[in-house]
Parts: sequence; C-alpha cells; structure tokens
Amino acid sequence: MAAATSMAATIAASLPAPSTAPAPAAPTYEAIPASMSKVIDLEGEIPLQCVQLDGLVVSKIIKHSRDAQGSSAHGLVLGLDLDGTLEVSNSFPMPNHSPDDDDKSTKGIVRYQASMLRSLKDVQADDSIVGFYQAMMLGSFLNQTLVETQAIHQEKLRHGGVVIVHDLSQTARGNASFRAFRLTRAFLDALKRNNFSTSSLIDHRLTFSSILEELPVKVRTNALMGSFLQTLTEPSAPPVVGDHPSAATSTAALPPSFSTLNLGTASVSRNLEHIIEAVDAYKTEEGNLAYLHRQIAREKQKAEGYVTKRKEENAARVAQGLAPLPEEDVNRLFKIPPEPSRLESMLLLGRIDAYSKALAETSSTGLVKMYAAKTNSGV
Amino acid sequence: MSLTVESSAVYVQNTAPGFISTPGRAPTSVTVHPVALFSILDHYLRRTESQERVIGTLLGKRSDNGEVEVRSSFAVLHSETEEQVAVDMDYLKTMYDLHHKVNPKEVIVGWYSTGSNLNTYSALIHDFYSQEATPHQVVHLAVNTGVVEGEKACVKAYIGSPVGVYPKPENCVFVPIPCELRFNETERSGLDLLTTTATAPNSTTPHPVTDLEVLEQSLKSVADMLDRVLSYVQSVLAGEVKGDAVVGRYLMDTLGASTEDLEKKGFNSSLQDTLMVSYLASLVRSQAEVSARLALVTST
Repeated sequence: MAAATSMAATIAASLPAPSTAPAPAAPTYEAIPASMSKVIDLEGEIPLQCVQLDGLVVSKIIKHSRDAQGSSAHGLVLGLDLDGTLEVSNSFPMPNHSPDDDDKSTKGIVRYQASMLRSLKDVQADDSIVGFYQAMMLGSFLNQTLVETQAIHQEKLRHGGVVIVHDLSQTARGNASFRAFRLTRAFLDALKRNNFSTSSLIDHRLTFSSILEELPVKVRTNALMGSFLQTLTEPSAPPVVGDHPSAATSTAALPPSFSTLNLGTASVSRNLEHIIEAVDAYKTEEGNLAYLHRQIAREKQKAEGYVTKRKEENAARVAQGLAPLPEEDVNRLFKIPPEPSRLESMLLLGRIDAYSKALAETSSTGLVKMYAAKTNSGV
Repeated sequence: MSLTVESSAVYVQNTAPGFISTPGRAPTSVTVHPVALFSILDHYLRRTESQERVIGTLLGKRSDNGEVEVRSSFAVLHSETEEQVAVDMDYLKTMYDLHHKVNPKEVIVGWYSTGSNLNTYSALIHDFYSQEATPHQVVHLAVNTGVVEGEKACVKAYIGSPVGVYPKPENCVFVPIPCELRFNETERSGLDLLTTTATAPNSTTPHPVTDLEVLEQSLKSVADMLDRVLSYVQSVLAGEVKGDAVVGRYLMDTLGASTEDLEKKGFNSSLQDTLMVSYLASLVRSQAEVSARLALVTST
C-alpha cells in the first residue's frame, strides 16, 4: 500500500501540469487547414471514442511484458488525440519500483522519465504522455496501484489518459490481447473523497464492474511496417524449381502458425489456483471488515448505554432539584472508529470475477477444440 | 527464418563454431527480435526531410557460440554531409543509460542504418561503435525498408574487418554474416495480430477479439486447406494431374496421425472435466456478482 501511494506520487510529480490552452489562438489557427479545423481541438473538447494502438506499441508492450515476467511490467504510452481517437504511437518501459528506498528512487524515476521524453523528442517521436500500460496474467489487473495511478493521470492529463492492459497468458495462448480502460466518473468521485463506506458505495452505485469503463481498441500498422510484414510472411520463391512442396512454404520468415489449435489445457490448473488465492484473500478481507463492523457496533452500544444512563441519572438529579450533568462528553469518552474502506474487497471481487471469466473462456474454447478434434478423427 | 534475400554469396567465416568465447571474437550469426526491426522502421518513418538514412544503436546479448541476439534498438541523432559525419555521442550515452536501467541485461551489440549502401561513413561509424563496445566486436545491420523501387525489403548483417597494411578507421571490409528473425513463441500471436492488421483494409483491426473468434479463424483456414488437399487428391484420382509421390507421403504422415488418445473413454472424461471447470467458472462469477450487490445493501 505504501508502495502504491509512493508510485502514484512519483508519477504525479513527474507529469507536466495540465497545459493551459495557448492564449493567442489566431496565429495557430492559420496553420491548421480548413479540412482539419473540425478534428483538431486545442481545448480537448471532443470526448475520446476509441484508442488506436500502433504496431510498434503492440510489439514493444508484448516484449516488455514477457521480459519482466513475474514482476509486473508497466510503462508509459505516448501519442496524440485526433477527432475522438487517441492515437498511441510509441511507448517506453518504466524501471521497476522497489518499495524500500523510496525518496531516492522516486527522484530517479522522475529524472528517467523526463530524460526519456526529451530524447524521444530529439528524434521526432511523439513525446506527450497519454496514459500507461500494465501487463497482467489471466485477465486480472485490478489493484490499488493501477487505480491510483490512473486517478492521477485522469486529473493531470488532457482527456484523462487511458490505461492499456495486456494479458500475457492470453497472448501465449494465441490471442494477443489489449484492452483500454478509464476510471468511471462515479468511482473517481468516491476516490477523491477517499470514502468507500457502504453508504458512499450505495450513493455512487459502485460495484467492481463499474470501477472502470472500457474503450474500444483498434490496432493499426503504418504502411511501411505493413509492407515489411508482407515481405516476411510471403514465401520466397523456392531456390530450386520442382523442390519439395512442403519445404517451399517454410522458407518464409514468418510461416503461418496454428498454435491456437493446441489442445493443451495447462493454464487451467494455474487459473484455478489463482481463483482460490483470490477467494482466500477476499475471505480474509471480509473477516477484517466484519471485525471492524462489530467493533463499531460495540462502541456505539457502549456510547448509547452511557448516554441513556446519564439521562436517567440526570432525570433523577432534576427530580432531586440538582443541576443536570453535561451529556456532551460522550464523544470524548468513546471514540467510534470510522467505517472501514470497502475498496480493497471490491477490487478483490473484481479480480475473482476476471479470473473466472478467463477460466470460462479457456474452457469454452477447449470444448470447441475437443469436438473439432473428435469429428476430424472420426471416432 | 531467414531475413535476407536469397543470394549466391557464401558466408566467409574464419572460425569454426564451438570455440570458447574470447573477447574480440567475431560474431558468427545475428538474430533479430521483431521489436528492434519495428523500431527501426518507425525511426525511418519519422526522419526529417534532409535525412537520407537514419542510424541507431542495437541492444542485445552475446552468447558464447558467437551468436549475437539483437533484442531492441533505439534511434541516434547523426548528420551526414559531403565533408563529414557526426554522431551525437551524448545522446547515445543518455539513451543507453536509460535503457540500461530498465533492462540491465541488454548491452550495445552493434548499430543499424537504413538503406543498403555501405560507404566510408559506414566504416567510420562502425569504428566508433567498435570503440563503444570493446573488447567485443560489433555487428552492423543494414535494413532495406523497401521504399526504393526495384529493391526488396530485407535485412543484412555485417561484421567489420580492417583492411590494408596500416588499418585506418575509414577503411573497412563489411563481411556478411547470416541473419535471422527470432522471437519467443509466446510473442507469436502479437505478430499474427499485426500481420492480419497489415492485410486488413485501412490497416486497422478492431480489438479486442475473443478467443473463440481467433479459434474460428484458424479452424476455417484449416478447413480451407483440407478442401484444397481434397480437391488435389480427387484430381489425382481422376487422372487429371499426375500424382506427386512426395506430396502423397507427406499427406499420409500428416493425416494418418494416431487417434488413440481420443478413444471414447478418454474423450468423455476430458469432456466432463472441461464442463466441470466451465460450470465452476460461472458459479464463481455469479457468486462474486451477488456478493458485490449484497455489499450495497444495508441492514437497516
């Protein structure tokens, strides 16, 4: 938790202040052609409709996520927004933040980020931060760090920024998965007040599914990369005419792959383990909450008992013609603890849900594959 | 997975593979990760008008058998005129330090440039990078982006070798070495996503797609291939085409695979397991949903 806040603070410190719109608008408009004047908004008024990921970003995120297996990989994404589409054109990984040496490494990360942005600008790459990315396993990514980082981004960045999550296990299964999210307004409001008591949750109608809203993602490759990829996938002409026909196709740098047809269900047991772990964590958290609730109830009861006793006493004193004792000191004598935050338990529920969703998908594709294999074999 | 265009050139190597690694030993082959390639292409796309080619640094690992693994790359500022060539050393140092922080295992293994012309400046830059990476030798990756008409997009790898009685930095023979595309199998689906995107209209694809959709695509393409094979076999049987024994044997090996694992009982028990897991998953999901709703209900 301490690490979470410190990382969030790091990013807060390193982000540029929300850029105020340049005051002399007249000369700027001249540079914008008439056809583009509707799609370029200096004030950031056009709401975001979808996120467009460049091929470079896709491959960079996949590589970083794989390299940093075990520890969670995260980094910043850079780009521009145009007519409701957030075009993400570049990204860079962030060094892993260790919670031990806080102050020094925080400064180091701020320096790292600033210097990286400057360097990218020097080679004409985009240098405006539009969000961050996070790697995850088996569909579950909700945690406090992510929520807090995104909350800061949403306040500081133009258009609020997005968080792009990449599922490592799904990619390994043959379906590269990228999703983009933002925090919902209701959740942001609750987070700003730092109030996740039951009544606040009811007011904001918050459940785990309404923490984040998803934005549709598009993947785009630029023409140069597209043509290069085509060169890689197309089989080069067989060196000798009349060669082995099966060998002719395998000369392409990128032969077609059918790894999705693999019948193996290795990830199922790990997925189940994750679910059990998450359920256990949720159980513990619920236990804590119940304990705190009982304590609150006990304290309240004590305080009420004291008040009624004092009232009776006072009534007796009044009847005897004495001055009544003050009733206000009850707040001083009994400290009623504040209602516990339900944020953690909500996030845990979200994780359980995500894990079981991943499990359901795996089993449904597993079924299809099994029947496909069965009909093929003619059993 | 060769990246280079077929040529009749023979790779000249003066050391037999399998030697103990010594500093300064010449790399014998290069493997390139797709990320490095895509970064180079992106850099080329973002060059200024006056730049004819762009250069940058290759980061990666060296292995004992003389293989150099290029895992990522970053752009470096440089300028070339008729008289001189300049590489921004400070920029290179800064960028290298930044990359080193995130990925300490990756070191400078060489440099890239776009276009396939090797000139005196290439030799000079190569010499510069050699000093950066001493005692190891560096590799040079010439990426032809394929924008010049009549030239195919390809990647070639070279090592530098001094030439002449008195070696001078501007004199250098670039000896070609084999170069391959290499990536981890788990990253394959990312590349598949990009290749389908590249062939799609507008070069964009909607995302995310469910696992089932991806599976459907692969099953369809398998069905297509089976159809093709079937029509070929039928035309051979009808005597329209002369059968190829190699193809026949290949088909026999592929399609005649044993189906013993799929005998009735195994299939059924596996089916039950899968259904059980699927049931469990939906049970957990509904419990989580109910629990979340119940949290919103107060006792009063």
